[in-house]
Amino acid sequence: MKKLSLLVVVIAVVLSGLSIVSAQDMGIDSAWWETAGAPYAGTVLHGVSESTPPSNYVKDVLAPMFEEMTGIRVDLETTSWDQMYDKAIKDMEAGSGIYDFVYIEQDIIYGYLANDYLVNQTQALAAAPELAAPEFSFDNFTTFIDYFKNADGDVFGIPMEAFVKIYLYRTDLFENPDIQAAFEAEYGYPLAPATTHEQYRQIAEFFTAYGEANDMELWGTTVQAASGHPSSFYEFFESIAPTFGVYNWGINMENWKATVANGGSMNSDTAKEALAWWLGNLPFAPPEATSSTWDEVAASFAAGRAAQGIVYGENAAWIATDPERSVVVGNVGVALPPLSEGVLAQAEADEGYIGYYDGGAFGLPVSSLNQEAALLWMQFVGLPQVQAEWAAAASRIVMEPTYSDPLVVAVDEATNGYFSLMKDEGYLFAGAPPFPFHPQVREVIAPFIYQAIGGEITAAEALDLAAAAADAELVNLGYGS
Amino acid sequence: MRKTRTGWLLLAPSMIILFVVGIVPFIYVLYVGFFDWNLFSASREMNFTGVDNYRQLVFDPLFLDALWVTIRFTFFAVVSQLIIGFFLAQMLLRDFPGKSFFRTIHTIPLMIAPIAIGAIWRLLTIPGFGPVPFLLDRWFDFDFNIGTNASQAFLAIVIMDIWHWTPFVTLTMLAGLSALPVEPREAALVDGANGWQVFRYITLPQMQPVVLTVLFIRIMDGLRTVDEINMLTNGGGPGTSTRTVGIHIFRVVFPQTDYGYGSAMSLLTLYLTIVACWFLFVSLTQVRRR
Repeated sequence: MKKLSLLVVVIAVVLSGLSIVSAQDMGIDSAWWETAGAPYAGTVLHGVSESTPPSNYVKDVLAPMFEEMTGIRVDLETTSWDQMYDKAIKDMEAGSGIYDFVYIEQDIIYGYLANDYLVNQTQALAAAPELAAPEFSFDNFTTFIDYFKNADGDVFGIPMEAFVKIYLYRTDLFENPDIQAAFEAEYGYPLAPATTHEQYRQIAEFFTAYGEANDMELWGTTVQAASGHPSSFYEFFESIAPTFGVYNWGINMENWKATVANGGSMNSDTAKEALAWWLGNLPFAPPEATSSTWDEVAASFAAGRAAQGIVYGENAAWIATDPERSVVVGNVGVALPPLSEGVLAQAEADEGYIGYYDGGAFGLPVSSLNQEAALLWMQFVGLPQVQAEWAAAASRIVMEPTYSDPLVVAVDEATNGYFSLMKDEGYLFAGAPPFPFHPQVREVIAPFIYQAIGGEITAAEALDLAAAAADAELVNLGYGS
Repeated sequence: MRKTRTGWLLLAPSMIILFVVGIVPFIYVLYVGFFDWNLFSASREMNFTGVDNYRQLVFDPLFLDALWVTIRFTFFAVVSQLIIGFFLAQMLLRDFPGKSFFRTIHTIPLMIAPIAIGAIWRLLTIPGFGPVPFLLDRWFDFDFNIGTNASQAFLAIVIMDIWHWTPFVTLTMLAGLSALPVEPREAALVDGANGWQVFRYITLPQMQPVVLTVLFIRIMDGLRTVDEINMLTNGGGPGTSTRTVGIHIFRVVFPQTDYGYGSAMSLLTLYLTIVACWFLFVSLTQVRRR
């Protein structure tokens, strides 16, 4: 009953569109913002970000709120993931000054820093104390902000989203006594979220057969296996390979080599086993799996077409609470992904990780023509007061106190503990490796993963070819010899 | 003399614009093609490498694959469009009930942006949700999945292009056919020629300039198709089975930021297109002369 009433509260908040929230409601000192923003009133800040729940919240809620207080308009362009990179990089490289803030995904920050694209926000605020908002502090953020610091500890991006890619499962199916009995009769152990890859596969097999036998549009697992889109590359290298103990895409961080022969592990037996396992899940996934990027995987799960899946956490809240978009509201459970033996211990000892801690920040391009106004906007996005509503709407958390906000606690209960898992077990996950050449190497590896998904080559062949291509490209880019 | 000067003055704005937006970027691409230049390399410098990029291209399996996909795609799409378009144009020359309605409906795809065409066909064919795989499965127990089956994905992009561009061929052919003089045809019929002979020896030769124009326009368009395929197959999948040269160049230049290699690829593709069109033109006009 308590769970139900919490769910109702959360649904009410989500359905209200959060449009009723004002700066005063959030306890923001609007007088300071009005004064600080006065010299820049009428300025229009242009930004670009990926169209995701957190970015859409910024566009729909935070930007109008900021404009109301400061008179500074914020036009945030939310677009596709690849267009977002394309536009931001071209603008910053050409120095055209179109954008005053850009989304920096955690995996691209190393490339941006190497190219000096971004303003050092620590120094910028120190140099202009009149622009430093009293309610803002870099110290408010979780350690996720460390990804956006340089070697000196200066910050180049204000974290705006952070989430883990987690194992979602359908509680209505997993807790159904008839299903539990049938599963146990078939496999000899109780039905529960998988802790090993073998269990995960068996659960996938079981629910696919169950869906078929009961004439349901139900399959055993989602697979983010778009056969021509980098999302499949990411699912394998950032979410699946680490659960087998293959880290950093299998690239040796000391000599920048990927092949086993040169000291890497991209084509190691373990990596090949991981890819074969992942590809082996495809027969138990909905038919759209090979056309599914991150968005479609969330949509498939929300449509009730999969019993379990590895899903980006930014979707957890709406899948669990928004009845307009999800048919599994109230029936979503979260767990750690299935792991090979020893991987958890490695992660606990900080010698590895079990999955992807994703997220991003807003950065201020050096080429921006409105840097001072943009600095104010950056701080506004990083105010502690705006975090809880944002977390409830878009399941992202970048500050520790947000976890204990009543609204977030309610969403946490509705998702059966997503935020608790992120808070307590988040340290087991990790962001992308610090590669300054991230998209460049991804682009030469990914076609082999696509070919393996299409069945043109085997998992082992794909990784042998991918590792050789990565070695060659790294040399070409000037990394390693 | 004054007349000449006035003429040049009037032409100047167009020529300046053409030079700035056409010639200058072309020269820049030509220049960059001789360098190794990647923004995210360790050095970030532009290193002169002469013709190395072009040498690499000849042995690059991904580029050669993409080229082969493009050639096959263009061949199947353009040949089908020419045949269907010619047939429909002949049909539209005659009166039949609902002709105006058909002509309007038939022309609609031409007015839709390629990216929207790709989105429409993606929605139609997406496995699990699209009506095409659903109905094929329901009616014929046929598993249609463009996410895993390379042949089906290739077929889907060809059919999409035929659907999109056949109206253009039809309209052009219709204009050509409508403008043909009737006397040769009537004379041939009086001389006892049958329908095929009239088509083969009278209509087709008279239509040659129109057919050649349509053929070249469609070949050039086919060779540079990017957006609709990129949208339909999510970047040229499954694997690289629908990755055309255009998509490949896009991925090398933008996500991979390999500007030197991408520029060389663009120029080589342009060169191959010109050579192919020239070869086709010479072959077809030679055949006609013989």
